[in-house]
Amino acid sequence: MSLGPEVTFFVDLLAIYSIYLIINTSLNLEFGYAGIPNFGKVLAVGVGAFVAAAVPGRMLAGMAGIGGDYIGDNIAIMSQVNAWLLDNTGAGIAAFAVTLAVAAAVGAAIGLLTAYPAIRLRGDYLAITLLAFGEGMRVIGINYTEIAGGTLGVQLPDPLVWLPPDLRFPAATVGLVIMAAAAVIYGDRLVRSPLGRLLRAVRDNEVAAESVGKDVMRARTKTIMVAAAMAAVAGALYAFYVGGAISFAYDRLNWTFWPFMMILIGGLANSRGVLVGTLAFVLVRKLITFYKDSLQGIVPFDVVWLDYLLLGVVLIAVLLYRPQGLLPERPTPTVRVPGEDGPAPLTSRLGAIARRLAGG
Amino acid sequence: MRRPRPWHVGAGAAAAAAAALAAGAGGQAPDPILSAAVIYSSLLVLLAIGLTLTYMTTRVPNFAHASSATIGVYAALVVSRVWEASPYLSIPLAFAVAGATSLTLYTLVLRPLIRKRASQAIQMISTLAFDLVLIAALNIAADHIVRAYQVTAREFTLRSYDAQVGDLPAVLFVAPVAIAGIVVTLHLVLKRTRFGIAMRATIENPDLSSVVGINVRRVYGVSWFLGGGLAGVAGALMSLWFQGDPGLGALLIPSIFAASIVGGFMSIYGAIAGGALVGLAEILGTRWLAGELGSWVIAYRPLVPLAFIAATLMLAPRGLAGVDWRALGRRLHVARA
Repeated sequence: MSLGPEVTFFVDLLAIYSIYLIINTSLNLEFGYAGIPNFGKVLAVGVGAFVAAAVPGRMLAGMAGIGGDYIGDNIAIMSQVNAWLLDNTGAGIAAFAVTLAVAAAVGAAIGLLTAYPAIRLRGDYLAITLLAFGEGMRVIGINYTEIAGGTLGVQLPDPLVWLPPDLRFPAATVGLVIMAAAAVIYGDRLVRSPLGRLLRAVRDNEVAAESVGKDVMRARTKTIMVAAAMAAVAGALYAFYVGGAISFAYDRLNWTFWPFMMILIGGLANSRGVLVGTLAFVLVRKLITFYKDSLQGIVPFDVVWLDYLLLGVVLIAVLLYRPQGLLPERPTPTVRVPGEDGPAPLTSRLGAIARRLAGG
Repeated sequence: MRRPRPWHVGAGAAAAAAAALAAGAGGQAPDPILSAAVIYSSLLVLLAIGLTLTYMTTRVPNFAHASSATIGVYAALVVSRVWEASPYLSIPLAFAVAGATSLTLYTLVLRPLIRKRASQAIQMISTLAFDLVLIAALNIAADHIVRAYQVTAREFTLRSYDAQVGDLPAVLFVAPVAIAGIVVTLHLVLKRTRFGIAMRATIENPDLSSVVGINVRRVYGVSWFLGGGLAGVAGALMSLWFQGDPGLGALLIPSIFAASIVGGFMSIYGAIAGGALVGLAEILGTRWLAGELGSWVIAYRPLVPLAFIAATLMLAPRGLAGVDWRALGRRLHVARA
């Protein structure tokens, strides 16, 4: 059995869509709801990928009793680990779960680090500082080879190695879709919670929020930590999906600028906006790559630059002519807890009072 | 008594480096690292001045600023390799093209956004989007140069096209001298001309300035043109020593921002001091640390601007320009006594 190009296209599209959904949900929490311009989004994503590069391979090699220099003999050790994983499926899944947990924890710690400037600085200075943080992560990743193999990168153990090769990517994609759905639902519940309303209040008028006794600093810190943990999990998932991690891949364009673009096109502070914006963006980019050969005759330059040009212009146009994005922000209803009747809506209560007054 | 200005720090540091260079050049072959330090910090000064000029007017950090320098790099490539003229002749071209690009960003993107009261974050993102378009255009241009003229247009250097002064490359002298000339001119324009006074007034209070009849839009437009143009000049000179590539801007941007933030972001003199300080620290500081700790340090040079940003924001958030030097001097004096 072999998958056709259309199926591969669809599977890959869905996988990238899922990973970006997690990152964009986290960025939307930070930027859309809390107003924190995290121009260093790549930091948390990259750290998650570094965890995936450094932890599960060493862990499984230790369990399987495979010795050697993990970074230097990475390819040889990984092929032995993957062979061992064929008979030890459970260990692979366990290593995968542990990696995601570690990535989330390290991501939250990174979030705490970024919260330090984020509760002290505003606007442009914060954006520049976070951008510099992200660049610093890449420099360390490229040069400190123990983490992710430096310029050569490392291969990751494949927890799905026991599947037939044709089913590996579709199965991984199903897993990613489930993870992304969980992230989107979690993000949606979070912004409908009191924390979500507090964040918007802080974003729109910090002094007013503080004057009614809200702890602005805590809310911002919490948001950044949650968002960074989510982004780190997404980074680890991406590394598992592509089967390796290399520092060069974690650049500002792919993991900071594109996510900003997607949430801005979709509409800020809006879960459905994230879904729509991410889909529009991922689809356009994938289609350009998919029809690269046919486009090559039409455009007078290398098609690689077409999506830069096109998406750059589209984003400027959106900011100028439709700043609210495709789906504008709307007041979100609070979550009804099942089995517990909340207070009746204000309008019906007012109606009841009016009727009583009229009836005498 | 004149208040000591932060650019005295920068001028002092640059003079020290030049003296060290002259001492080195006296005997044996000149030290390439010292040359690199002088050229790099001169260019960083120019880039930081340009960024500060644009930031002072519109209060939006231009993330596309470094790509204006890359435009200058390609102007130098075209002039020296395609038209086969001296790379120094590319300076006016680089100034004009990079300035026009920067003006385009201001008039077509930022001014409408400001008029629509877009938030500062949105304005910053629009400069990132503009940068993306510039990077694509630069890459397309590089491909075109390769295909049409069979000239290397990626990871190239124009070092061999530079003139020689004694056994030293000319750019080693041209870069600091040009920067000094530009700084003096800019100083005179700001302090002595009607336009300079209008510009300073606009920066301080745009509403009041427009009331007294200053054309605020034109003043802003001129600062954006100047800011981009200066970056273009820096790029044209840069290609004579450093490697040129369409991705150069991405490597430069943290250093430019660090230099401007160290300088306080709202002062041209601060930008001069910041550029000199960050530039010298990146090259000489890294080399000194490599001597102390081992050569592995050199690869971590990009962390230097990050350290400067962090240190400035923690110790003196308003940068060198915000430090009260006399008060500091008095306090040190008291502490010593």
